[in-house]
Amino acid sequence: MTEMTAHTVSRDSFSRRIWRKTWQGVGVKLGFAWVGILVFMGVFAPFLANSMPLLMSKAGVISAPVLAYLTAEDVLVLVMLVLALVLVWLPLSGAKRVLLFVVGTLVAAVMANAFVKPPAVKIYDEFRTPAYTEVDWRIMPLIPYAPTDYLRDYPEHGLEAPLAATERFHLMGTEENGADVFSRMIHASRIALSIGLIATGIAMVIGVILGGLMGYFSGVVDMIGMRLVEIFEAIPTLFLLLTFVAFFGRSLYMMMIIIGVTSWSGYARYIRAEFLKLRKQEYVQAAVASGLPLSSILFRHMLPNGVAPLLVAVSFGVASAILAEATLSFLGLGLVGEPSWGQMLDQAVKSSTFNWWMAVFPGGAIFLTVFAYNLIGEAFRDAIDPKLSRNAGVGS
Amino acid sequence: MTQPLLEVRNLRTYLSSGGRTVKAVDDVSFSIPKGETFCLVGESGSGKSISALSVIRLLPQAIATHPGGEILFNGQDMLTLPEASLRSIRGSQIAMIFQEPMTSLNPVFSVGEQITEALQLHHPTMSDAEAVERAMLALEQVQIPKARERFRDYPHQLSGGQRQRVMIAMALACEPELLIADEPTTALDVTVQAEILRLMRQLQDDTGMSTLFITHDFGVVAQMAQQVGVMQQGKLVEVGNTAQVLRQPQHAYTQQLLAAVPENLARCRPRRSDFSPTMLTEDVGLKSDLPALLSIRNLKVWFPIRKGILRRTVDHVRAVDDVSLDIPQGQIVALVGESGCGKTTLGRAIVQLEKPTSGSIQLQGQELTGLSARELRPLRPKMQIAFQDPQSSLNPRLLVETTLTEPLKAHGRCANHEERIEYAAKILADMQLSRDTLWRYPHEFSGGQRQRIGLARALVLNPAFIVCDEITSALDVSVQAEILQLLLKIRAEHNLTLLFITHNIGVVEYLSDQTVVMYKGQIVERGTTAEVCGNPQDAYTKKLLQAVPRLWG
Repeated sequence: MTEMTAHTVSRDSFSRRIWRKTWQGVGVKLGFAWVGILVFMGVFAPFLANSMPLLMSKAGVISAPVLAYLTAEDVLVLVMLVLALVLVWLPLSGAKRVLLFVVGTLVAAVMANAFVKPPAVKIYDEFRTPAYTEVDWRIMPLIPYAPTDYLRDYPEHGLEAPLAATERFHLMGTEENGADVFSRMIHASRIALSIGLIATGIAMVIGVILGGLMGYFSGVVDMIGMRLVEIFEAIPTLFLLLTFVAFFGRSLYMMMIIIGVTSWSGYARYIRAEFLKLRKQEYVQAAVASGLPLSSILFRHMLPNGVAPLLVAVSFGVASAILAEATLSFLGLGLVGEPSWGQMLDQAVKSSTFNWWMAVFPGGAIFLTVFAYNLIGEAFRDAIDPKLSRNAGVGS
Repeated sequence: MTQPLLEVRNLRTYLSSGGRTVKAVDDVSFSIPKGETFCLVGESGSGKSISALSVIRLLPQAIATHPGGEILFNGQDMLTLPEASLRSIRGSQIAMIFQEPMTSLNPVFSVGEQITEALQLHHPTMSDAEAVERAMLALEQVQIPKARERFRDYPHQLSGGQRQRVMIAMALACEPELLIADEPTTALDVTVQAEILRLMRQLQDDTGMSTLFITHDFGVVAQMAQQVGVMQQGKLVEVGNTAQVLRQPQHAYTQQLLAAVPENLARCRPRRSDFSPTMLTEDVGLKSDLPALLSIRNLKVWFPIRKGILRRTVDHVRAVDDVSLDIPQGQIVALVGESGCGKTTLGRAIVQLEKPTSGSIQLQGQELTGLSARELRPLRPKMQIAFQDPQSSLNPRLLVETTLTEPLKAHGRCANHEERIEYAAKILADMQLSRDTLWRYPHEFSGGQRQRIGLARALVLNPAFIVCDEITSALDVSVQAEILQLLLKIRAEHNLTLLFITHNIGVVEYLSDQTVVMYKGQIVERGTTAEVCGNPQDAYTKKLLQAVPRLWG
């Protein structure tokens, strides 16, 4: 039995239809909402939780101390958000958007590193001295504590449960050194997001290129490629990370690269299978018969049709990359200066007494983030699965 | 016998999904007397399968409702019976066979096991030995050669026709009173179809069962049915005696459908001179003075069969084996043969989508074999291909505009993008499609429209030669007629040479100037269409032509 229903005309493109179907569920909306909150917190972290005033007026002079202390990374993330918003608003094709975003990000990274020079020493106590407090007016961030502000000007102060302190307001309490937990949570979201996205991005680029070549050329290329995939699948990512940390010290970027370089094999398999199938599709054959150049056949006729299953894999991949970083930090091999959720959990465990607020908040955040990405991945999978979309049909 | 076996009265079947309700079957009434065959015929989506599934109550209850009507089987209303009684009727009293023999058998059980299981379900008291004996008898009844030896074969070891025979054996093992056959021969080759149809008629004579036969092919109707019902959009527009309906259709839709059957089209085919006065007025034969646009010499396309760890080539599948053929300028050459005879491979090899093993293909004197992809690129525009499946022949992610203008751009045709769009719009107009087609995606079109866009894509590069690979096989008969008429028109306008690959003899007779018959990778007969179809010489061609179900046979 062929199509029972009359031919429905919808003017949407394929990607928009997939997107609309993905967006139908409640779970996926929650997932995107949580990721949206994380992005917001990650991008605006220095303005949300910091010890210095956002804006203050002293003796008629208006200044913004927070801007002076912005690091190159802070600036880069802000520029990236602005760039992304502008590109979404501009009427461009998908490929151009991605290209412009990547180029813009690279330029911004170089510029930020060259021109943004924050003061080398930050003494947070100073911001609570009269130089900053006795002013005409000032606007403080929502949480007036930086993540590494250990509140040394309150000598009797240490580990405090949420809302325990009387003269200060710590929504999620403080950790052993006296830093505000909520502030650390906000700043750590940037690490969680960036490691997930960048590591998966690296893996995806390698996977798509190698998988695409394997699928299109098949034969010997495919055979060699698959052996390479098998080799990389045999590498235990976590132990490789441990080894590298032991040899070369701790670096977030090194972690991203290692997770990316070891996890591309799954994506390569997906793309290879898709390309093997697409190669024999009639529209690809027609493109070959029309004498179109190879780049057009690969990137215009095959990749957009084969990329859908990758979306699913990517959303699960992001979740697993975040988990890998959390695991490493939990083992005490994560970053030193910067807070991360895994490292905060590690602190909670190593503390002599059990302090629930130190475990629940970062643990909950990891759980929610992984859960959100899984919800998004599931929704994509359901939207793409042709079996589910055809369930309105009858008979064979 | 006064009371009919099956009587369907004012049946309505509504399907609802996602808030929409489709009246799939709308007020349908017919009856089948004992021992007779009733054919439901109609185009895809007309509701004929849904009617049949309603009769046996196999529609998913979650989406299908029957707001009205009754289905009286031996006086019992199938619509009101409880599920348990239905189950005892299904299989034992009403059996069903489906279209696709590949998927209707379970691949992990042997055919014998599947038949005995069906038997023992409906006759719980039957002993194993007796069931096996009955199953073997059933297999013999459907004339499977060496039935006793094939009892333990798995479905993949049987050919498509044999699988359909096993399906029939399974359906008949319990001696049903009514057999519902849903396009049982559509997926089969015409020679196999003829055998299966003959078998079904014979079994009906032997057992006296009634058949509800669903098909879209009027030729099959003419061969099988005593009564025929024509369906259109869920309604039964005409019911009557087969000969009467076929000869003197009353309803406008039946008339339109019958007029679109290639066999009838061929009767009123305009002479070529109507299209282009400059061309020869009489049919041209294999005249040597007609210049060959394309000449194929000793072409072989062999696919290696590799085995073992070292993937050594042990043998070859000889898809195209030593074929020589000249295709003259301006002719439509039909290439016919059953599935697996190598006709598609030959077509693909000509346009260099398949690498020939050996031999030569010359297009306008230019050798095509052995060229690299780079050397082929400038030659590609001269020869194009149009495909069978309207679903997969267009890139779902690209606007029609991109599909049509990209080849123009790649070959440096037209000065700028605006001109390319104008040119694409002109080609679409030739294919009787409007200009706004350009700004739509393939999924917005019906199968026939997509085939036109596929043809437009082949035409934009202004080729001299187009391979049409079964381009009408997936289409309804009225849409097929439109496409065929369009092909004749554009052939004249663009001075095209076509290689038309098909398995439908009616289409061949209507469309082509010359006919080439392929069998097992080799050409067995060729000549003008009138000669080949009117006076076949080769034994295989004779068998093929005899097997075609004719309206006027």
